Amino acid sequence: MSEQLKTRTDRVLEDPGAKAVASLYARSYLSAAAQNNVSDPQEELGSFVDDVLGHFPEFQNLLNSESVSRDEKLGLIDRVVAPKASEFLTNFLKTLVRHGRFGLTAEIREVVVQIQEENSGRRRVQIRSAKPLSDASRSEITTQLKDKLGFDPILLESVDESLIGGLIIQVGDTVYDSSLRTRLKTLTGRLTERTLHEIQSGRDRFSHPEGD
Amino acid sequence: MKFKADEIASVIQKEIEDFRGQIQTAEVGRVIEVGDGIARCTGLSNAMAGEMLEFPSGIRGLAFNLEENSVGVVILGDYLKIREGDEVKSTGTLLSVPVGDAMLGRVVDPLGNPLDGKGPIMTSQTRPVEHEAVGVAGRQPVKVPLQTGIKAVDAMTPIGRGQRELIIGDRKTGKTAVAIDTILNQKGNGVKCVYVACGQRAASVAGVVETLREHGALDYTIVVVATSADPAPIQYIAPYSGAAMAEQFMYNGEDTLIVYDDLSKQAIAYRQLSLLMRRPPGREAFPGDVFYCHSRLLERAVKLSDELGGGSMTALPIIETLEGEVSAYIPTNVISITDGQIYLEPDLFWKGIRPAINVGISVSRVGGNAQTKAMKKIAGSLRLDLAAFRELEAFAQLGTELDAATQQQLDRGYCMVELLKQPQNAPLNVADQVIVIYAGARGYFDKVPVADVQKRETELLQFIQDEHAEMRDNLISVAALTDEVENGLKAALEAFLARIASE
Repeated sequence: MSEQLKTRTDRVLEDPGAKAVASLYARSYLSAAAQNNVSDPQEELGSFVDDVLGHFPEFQNLLNSESVSRDEKLGLIDRVVAPKASEFLTNFLKTLVRHGRFGLTAEIREVVVQIQEENSGRRRVQIRSAKPLSDASRSEITTQLKDKLGFDPILLESVDESLIGGLIIQVGDTVYDSSLRTRLKTLTGRLTERTLHEIQSGRDRFSHPEGD
Repeated sequence: MKFKADEIASVIQKEIEDFRGQIQTAEVGRVIEVGDGIARCTGLSNAMAGEMLEFPSGIRGLAFNLEENSVGVVILGDYLKIREGDEVKSTGTLLSVPVGDAMLGRVVDPLGNPLDGKGPIMTSQTRPVEHEAVGVAGRQPVKVPLQTGIKAVDAMTPIGRGQRELIIGDRKTGKTAVAIDTILNQKGNGVKCVYVACGQRAASVAGVVETLREHGALDYTIVVVATSADPAPIQYIAPYSGAAMAEQFMYNGEDTLIVYDDLSKQAIAYRQLSLLMRRPPGREAFPGDVFYCHSRLLERAVKLSDELGGGSMTALPIIETLEGEVSAYIPTNVISITDGQIYLEPDLFWKGIRPAINVGISVSRVGGNAQTKAMKKIAGSLRLDLAAFRELEAFAQLGTELDAATQQQLDRGYCMVELLKQPQNAPLNVADQVIVIYAGARGYFDKVPVADVQKRETELLQFIQDEHAEMRDNLISVAALTDEVENGLKAALEAFLARIASE
């Protein structure tokens, strides 16, 4: 297959609109799974995304393409996926194709994983540190977070040398910043302000404080 | 002077010792789109409308649109430094500006940063830019005059403290001049002034600042500048931050005057923001809430009740019309919000009648109560007389023969028009205004040729100041035309007439 023509630049970040739609599908998928007593719905969807779409991008392109009709896409799923997958997943994929939302499959899977984590009392926590964390500090952070915030943290670590020292911990939209970089920045601001104040009051001793 | 190194060092050392490394907690989001002075961000799930946000380079933003999946942010600063994927921090505070006496005499941008190169502004007080106006119970009727020093305004469209009087007119008709004269006239009256330049050319703002400085008016004035080169968000918030600075004085029981120059440019900046934020456009592509944008601003101008300290904030919004079109969207809006308008006309301006105030359609809805008794007595019939004169004048242009009484009325009219002319940056004390208008209206200038009226007026004021200062002082202190004052005035005017007759 020839290289795809690029009409839009790649997004650095997720599209919030797509995310909202994906989250709706993900919730519906999970509640349908619960109603139909499907055990571990996440595993099958995950394996479909990783093993099928991940290995055969052409297949994904075909299902996303506007030039393939909906009936052809449904037939494709019937022939390729249905024999190997459960009826539940096949139906879900067909629904996505019918609604023209097949392109969201990967996002839906992400959200499904996230929801399941939250349901089991676990949440993702991003940790940025100046140096790679040692095992001891990692377990210390985990216990501390569990004590303070009341859930099982899944640590997503990254190293950012510009922090100089300390940690930045992000849970959802909330950031706990104890990095040395931020502290130094605050200190600089306070010192500048204080020094300016001293200079001003020193000047006021010799002149009219209201100015000329 | 020299700084003592050890003094400063001890301060620094103490600061460092006191400095406890506290964990900063903030809610964050990420920029997904940026351009044209606005950004769209994800995250920030608890952001409040109007909350101040911070971008990594220290640039501040304002949460403007709270949508289901994203937050629309207006960027108050250089948006070119912000990139997709940058972290946005919420600050948990509303946008506020530094306020207080330290701001007087300074030229600042709408965020309160100094622009005049006179060093940092040392004030710890701040006020939120957006603030709810006082309710009904917290107000009292406008009854104290705010003298503009302009004869035509003080006599016919008087302005009271706490009033909102619109100055409206085409470009180059002297709108700013009326406002600046009013600021100049507040010298020694204890009224603190704020001049908000919104969407003006930087050169004309520099001119205004220079005028204020020259006349010693900068000492009691704050100049808030958002030039036309500033991004739309900055222009949009300029009037609100000016109002916040004035409010600080008002709530301390002081009288303030604020000039918004001009609100049509602010409306255009707001339109730009709203369209970029994809708010639906309405008439003239302005968003639906452009009325609210101006009404909530002008509603903050108020005369406070005595329980709240009795301070006041008088607002002089300025609106520029296109070809005299007062029925355009923004002019009608602001006309309906304000307590009257001063209408300036290019035709009058080019005829040499300056200030080019059209007295026929200029009104002041509440200022009448705020006029001094003396002015009220002599100016009561002035408007009607002038209107009658305009009619007669049009009639006389047909070249008809006029009887003596009509001719006299016409001459008196020409004389009054001449007397109401006033040079720029030369506001008059209200007592002088009363003397001049009394002299004109009672026919003391009837014998003076029209071309000489302005010269004689100056001479009269000089004569009274030199030789009848007592009567003038009396007029200032009584502020009413009592029999005693009036007799003194008559005597002085007759003496003056005798003087010029003998020349």
